[in-house]
Amino acid sequence: MKFHWFHLMPYPDLPEDFRERYRGVWVDPPASELFDRKRGNEMYNEYLDELEYAAEVGFDGICVNEHHQNAYGLMPSPNIMAGSLARRTRNAKIVLMGNSVALYNPPIRVAEEMAMLDSISGGRIVAGFPVGTPMDSTYCYGMNPATLRERYREAIDLILKAWTSEQPFAYNGKYTQLRYVNIWPRTVQEPHPPVWVPGAGSVETWDMCVENNFLYAYLSYFGFERGRKNFDGYWETVDKHGAERNPYRAGFLQFIGVAENDAEAKELYAEPALYFYNRCLHMYPGFATPPGYATIPTIRRGLQSTLAHAAAQREFANLTWEDIIERGYVVAGSPDKVAQKINEMADVMNVGHLMVLMHYGNMSKETVMYNTRRFAEDVIPQLRDRFSEYEDHWWPSTTLEDPAHPAPLTPSAAA
Amino acid sequence: MGFTSRTIMLANGREQVIHRAGAGTPVLWLHGLFGFDEDDPLVAALAESHDVIAPVCPGFADTAELVDLMDVHDLAQLYDDILVALGIGRAAVVGHSFGAMIGAELAARRQDAVACLVLLSPLGLWNDERPVADLFALPYPDMPSLLYADPSRASGGADTSSLDGDVERLVTLAQALTSVAKFLWPIPDRRLRTRLYRVVAPTLVVFGEEDAWVPPSYAEDFVAGLPNGHSETVPGVGHMLHLERPDEAIPLVTGFIEELATARLDAASS
Repeated sequence: MKFHWFHLMPYPDLPEDFRERYRGVWVDPPASELFDRKRGNEMYNEYLDELEYAAEVGFDGICVNEHHQNAYGLMPSPNIMAGSLARRTRNAKIVLMGNSVALYNPPIRVAEEMAMLDSISGGRIVAGFPVGTPMDSTYCYGMNPATLRERYREAIDLILKAWTSEQPFAYNGKYTQLRYVNIWPRTVQEPHPPVWVPGAGSVETWDMCVENNFLYAYLSYFGFERGRKNFDGYWETVDKHGAERNPYRAGFLQFIGVAENDAEAKELYAEPALYFYNRCLHMYPGFATPPGYATIPTIRRGLQSTLAHAAAQREFANLTWEDIIERGYVVAGSPDKVAQKINEMADVMNVGHLMVLMHYGNMSKETVMYNTRRFAEDVIPQLRDRFSEYEDHWWPSTTLEDPAHPAPLTPSAAA
Repeated sequence: MGFTSRTIMLANGREQVIHRAGAGTPVLWLHGLFGFDEDDPLVAALAESHDVIAPVCPGFADTAELVDLMDVHDLAQLYDDILVALGIGRAAVVGHSFGAMIGAELAARRQDAVACLVLLSPLGLWNDERPVADLFALPYPDMPSLLYADPSRASGGADTSSLDGDVERLVTLAQALTSVAKFLWPIPDRRLRTRLYRVVAPTLVVFGEEDAWVPPSYAEDFVAGLPNGHSETVPGVGHMLHLERPDEAIPLVTGFIEELATARLDAASS
């Protein structure tokens, strides 16, 4: 099993009465009222420190993602974060979860930036291609929900061709027309970085992932009871295509809180978890389902996206720590308890790549580092051999063995 | 007057569902948000003395129909193809809401074919001072409050107050809104203002005084751009004006068509 340390980069100072004063955390909470300029400087530097720390203590991957106009996800550009991390980390892979390719015109911008990151990092990039949430793609970036998926597929097709073509080529797409495609630089990885698709629960996404040998990751904030329904559908699709039920073709996201025991877990993690579920998941339901975003088969199957689910849940306002634990939204407790839960999760969903959220809400840096260290030292070793009988084909395999590194700062520059 | 439904083949091979009833001068009815409804009192009234032709807008029955229709021009061309396929040289065009916007596009495109035009609560223009509200960011249960002066008047497909668990109604509504959104997202302005000068047919613009989606003051914007347009306002109703107060809206529409279109049709045939 592999473990990836995922940061959402939430704004940590939303007021206590945020729910009453604003209709949601995403799209239109006014930055001018809520965002402190100086806090931005501290926050990004702290958050990057935390990601670097995770790389140092032995996580396989560190993850960044893309959101827009979102008070719980302050990475409009994951590639800027990844550029910084590529210089300051050595071994951990940098999992871009990912770039919303349909939003870039032309989409080869993504192919270029990811190739730059792969070059700088010596081939440590995982290329995530999400459709993009309704909030980000359709309300913030104005994409037409009716054509978003078609545009998304065309963009992936173009990017993969741009990475692999032996010759400059012309691309006559429905959404992108380019007379000359010939990107510089090339990726270090051959033929290109592994492709991961973070999905919310669209039937079509499963087919696309299996047909193209992309990893499918279900990013849920609601634990594995909700994840199970999705993965049942995904593994059925894998079977339908006659592909191998290899756990490394699947990823899942889980909130984690490692402590000495349950009491310490509550003391450390209850407040930031409640901050996340009460304030960060306060979503205006009108932004969850733009017409055309969910396809008709997905509506018929009743697979409400995880965010639509959040928007529908007014009870998050009154959630307690005990509810959060009982429902499995956060897996918290002693290292043995956490390892046992993850083993159960692996049994039920057959997932080889676990993305863990160890920072949530307004958690202090000190607590984040404690959580991260305890997981790396006391949990990962218990699970490392899980699924070792399978080969991971969805992981960078052509990373440079002896890559170039940043030169040390000269004394005058370091001062 | 019962409507009959049939599927016709357009010149490009595309299939199109048409509802039709009545006899007399042809009236092309372009439905609004919730699709074609033969019990719509305005439609029924028109069919009493006209040959009412009502195509179902692509996407409303099957979103796959939208794949090759990328913008309002493709859609206006489709309605043009429908008139050609049915052999209708000239018709009165009556549209509601989104259908009215497409009616205006059709009139700009086919000056010869549109005898007169009725735009009921039309979309299609944008004024920064008075923005059109964002219907697409409303939870379904809140839609009647935007569309009706009195939301309790919403009925049938327009009553979206409780759809939970009713998959068939959810699918119907999702298909309709997907179709409309494909042509209007994210701001319902496809530069119709720059083409209004081509809409030479006598045009009646009608707004409900309490339309909370498209402010009724857009009547002035339409009339300012139309070479031959005037507007009426219906008090006490919202966007769904002809469903909220059919007694007020129907005589406006039928009176206008009979007076003007009949004269134009007579002139054309003499």
